Amino acid sequence: MYKLRSRFSKNGDIIFISHLDVMRVFERALRRANIPISYTKGFNPHPIMAFATALGLGVSSDAEYIDIQLDEKIELYDFIKQLNNALPKGLTIIESSYISSKEESLMSVIKRSVYLVNFKLKDAVSKEDIINELNKFKNLEDIPLEKEKKKKGKRKEKTIQIVNIRPNIYGIEVFSLEERNAIIKMDLAAGSVANLKPEIVISKINEHTRLDIELDTIRIHRIKLFKEVNGSFVTPLEELKTL
Amino acid sequence: MNRLEIHDILFKVEKPARYLGNELNSVHKEVDESTVRFAFCFPDIYEIGMSHLGLQILYKLLNKQENVYCERVFAPALDMEQEMKENNIPLFGLESRNPIKAFDFIGFTLQYELSYTNLLNMLELADVPLYSKDRTKQHPLIIVGGPCAYNPEPIADFVDIVILGEAEEVILEIINAYKKRKSEESFSRRDFLIEIATIQGVYIPCLYDVDYNEDDTIKGINPNTEGIPKRVTKRIIKNLDDAFYPEEFIVPYINTVHDRIVLEIFRGCARGCRFCQAGIIYRPVREKGFDRLKGLTEKLLENTGYEEISLASLSTSDYSKLDMLVRHLIDEYKGDRVGISLPSLRLDNITLQLIEEIQKIRKTGLTFAPEAGSQRLRDVINKGLTEEDLQSAVKKAFSLGWTSIKLYFMIGLPTEIYEDLEGIGQLAFKVLDAYYSTDKEKRGKAINITVSASTFVPKPFTPFQWEPQDSLEAIHQKQRFLVENIKNKKITFNYHDAKTSFLEAVFARGDRRLSRVLAQGLKAGCKFDGWMEHFDFDRWMQVFEECKIDPTFYANRRRDYDEVLPWDHIDVGVTKKYLIKENEKARSGEVTVDCRSSCSGCGVNKGIVGGIC
Ligand code: SF4
Repeated sequence: MYKLRSRFSKNGDIIFISHLDVMRVFERALRRANIPISYTKGFNPHPIMAFATALGLGVSSDAEYIDIQLDEKIELYDFIKQLNNALPKGLTIIESSYISSKEESLMSVIKRSVYLVNFKLKDAVSKEDIINELNKFKNLEDIPLEKEKKKKGKRKEKTIQIVNIRPNIYGIEVFSLEERNAIIKMDLAAGSVANLKPEIVISKINEHTRLDIELDTIRIHRIKLFKEVNGSFVTPLEELKTL
Repeated sequence: MNRLEIHDILFKVEKPARYLGNELNSVHKEVDESTVRFAFCFPDIYEIGMSHLGLQILYKLLNKQENVYCERVFAPALDMEQEMKENNIPLFGLESRNPIKAFDFIGFTLQYELSYTNLLNMLELADVPLYSKDRTKQHPLIIVGGPCAYNPEPIADFVDIVILGEAEEVILEIINAYKKRKSEESFSRRDFLIEIATIQGVYIPCLYDVDYNEDDTIKGINPNTEGIPKRVTKRIIKNLDDAFYPEEFIVPYINTVHDRIVLEIFRGCARGCRFCQAGIIYRPVREKGFDRLKGLTEKLLENTGYEEISLASLSTSDYSKLDMLVRHLIDEYKGDRVGISLPSLRLDNITLQLIEEIQKIRKTGLTFAPEAGSQRLRDVINKGLTEEDLQSAVKKAFSLGWTSIKLYFMIGLPTEIYEDLEGIGQLAFKVLDAYYSTDKEKRGKAINITVSASTFVPKPFTPFQWEPQDSLEAIHQKQRFLVENIKNKKITFNYHDAKTSFLEAVFARGDRRLSRVLAQGLKAGCKFDGWMEHFDFDRWMQVFEECKIDPTFYANRRRDYDEVLPWDHIDVGVTKKYLIKENEKARSGEVTVDCRSSCSGCGVNKGIVGGIC
């Protein structure tokens, strides 16, 4: 049994397929590429593979990760080449590495993600203005978000919970500004413990600052995904246990 | 032609992957002046349309032709339709994102009557005039096919060409004839239609006139142009092994209704259930050979990466080499975890053994279709399934560990009385008893029986084509009776909405006067009528009233054998004489044997096949 960790990108039209669709696309591409994948046991066998996070519909990324289990070891070069040949345009394996079977699951180690968020402002602003406004936003101690929570055991009843999302924001900075078009870089909590979506942050910026954002122009691109090892943040392909 | 800009819209709509058009094995071609452009339209949303086998076949067949470019078009979901309207985007081919208004052909497959308003809505979204008479040289030709096209009269005013029967050959003949004429300065739509009207399997509605009697029945249907045949005959593919079948399927990104390889193993059905239209119109039975299927499977799996293959036909257990084929699939593809599904099975001990082996790979529920609750009524409809068959099959199934059983019935069948309905409940309880009497060691836990009752819809070209449909009141009462009768925690009872079935009955046996009703329905906002959440019965009734047409005239009236039926000028090979004989036999509860035991002389061997079946 061999475990392979890979980074892949999702760009172009393919950003419009959901996480579940991506799983199916990988499953079928692996089959077409004749890669010796391992299957789950039982009545409904599935390839053994796991993703780091579920990327939202419409979000592009250069930092998606997947672990795939193989029955036979194949050359990394062949794996990447064969799989990329079988994957649809827009989904591309960038790098792969065999990892120890003791390596913790991707889902459990992911802590942070960096995004570029592109949007239009209703009115042109100066770079100074936007930096000031974002600083003001960052200086807020409490950024409340209403969250619907399902009551345990009861299917329809929901309660509203208010959470402070400020601790889940690690950084926000202006990446570029051209008249009304702005790109902001955000470093946010991601993963199973805490997870904050960039579009929520944008809507909060819209709410708490003087920036007037056209919300339906938001375009999100993930550039990095980090896990935490001994207090420092590295990509899932770094600081791996020895094989 | 430039691609329409839809990128920003895709961020706003649900399931944007429906509109991408670049799925695995989709075809993208360069276009020039001489390219014949064909829009293959399915009048429902992507997930339904992409599950349709005919689309996969014809799409690949047409794109294999030089200078022909076939693209897919589905009914945009309501949110997409809204966005398209707001942004002035006309209906486009998914692959090229070019407006289909500029295409040569717009083809629709007609799988169910309740999609007719979607067809009209799509023409409107495409900015193409609805009525055939209003279209000119600049407009595409509208061509339809599929099971509902055998009685295309309700949509006769909107379409230019109807394909009767299997399209693989005739569609190429039409396109080739068109290729020759396309560039001609003097191209005339009417001349072209007259030219192709003599091809077997082609019906051109505008070349026929319908006269009516005072009592609103039809007096006659006759060609209005010289040289046009009085009756039009369906087309079949004689040898399926030589017929085109795709070696690759388009693989959708999103989950569709049938997201798997569909391997067609034969066409036609030998059983002769009297309510079943498919059983008549697809006659005779023609099988595909084992070697051909073996070869196709290999290529299809390789080209799609699918994890499941479904063997398709009207009655899968009747395939003469089923055992051999299934064993081959298991042996060959077990390692790759390819699941096999066998829909439309008649379950007996032999097929159960086969399924048991398949289950080792993937698990599914079991479905039985007794259709009627009593032996008497099953004889009337010629459904040769006895209670003993059912009993022994479910016993066996339970002892093999199955716990989920579905039973399908129809209510409102000709001659039905309440005793027959009681029989439905009794059968369900007997199945439950069979479960409890199965050895505890062997049987699975948590038994779940689902009983589904749909409403009988009399269809053209069946022995029941003269029969009235039960009134809505009568159906509602029967449904309530069943709800009371089948009260048990282990049995789930479902029934279909009777109002939908009523409308289906109206359009299934309708005539040309219904074109007006459909156009009015579209105006009133009727679309997606097959979807419960969109179907508005009261609105439809208002439309009928506005058009001064009584829908019960079509759905609930018993027709005489000598009445001219709206589809009498269409010849499916099976004679009217045979259908009358079958109807008479139904009334006296006499069964007709399967074509494989002996030929009962339906006529298809004479007109269509030319020899013996
Ligand atoms: S001609 Fe005879 S064998 Fe052929 S389909 Fe008709 S009844 Fe069946």
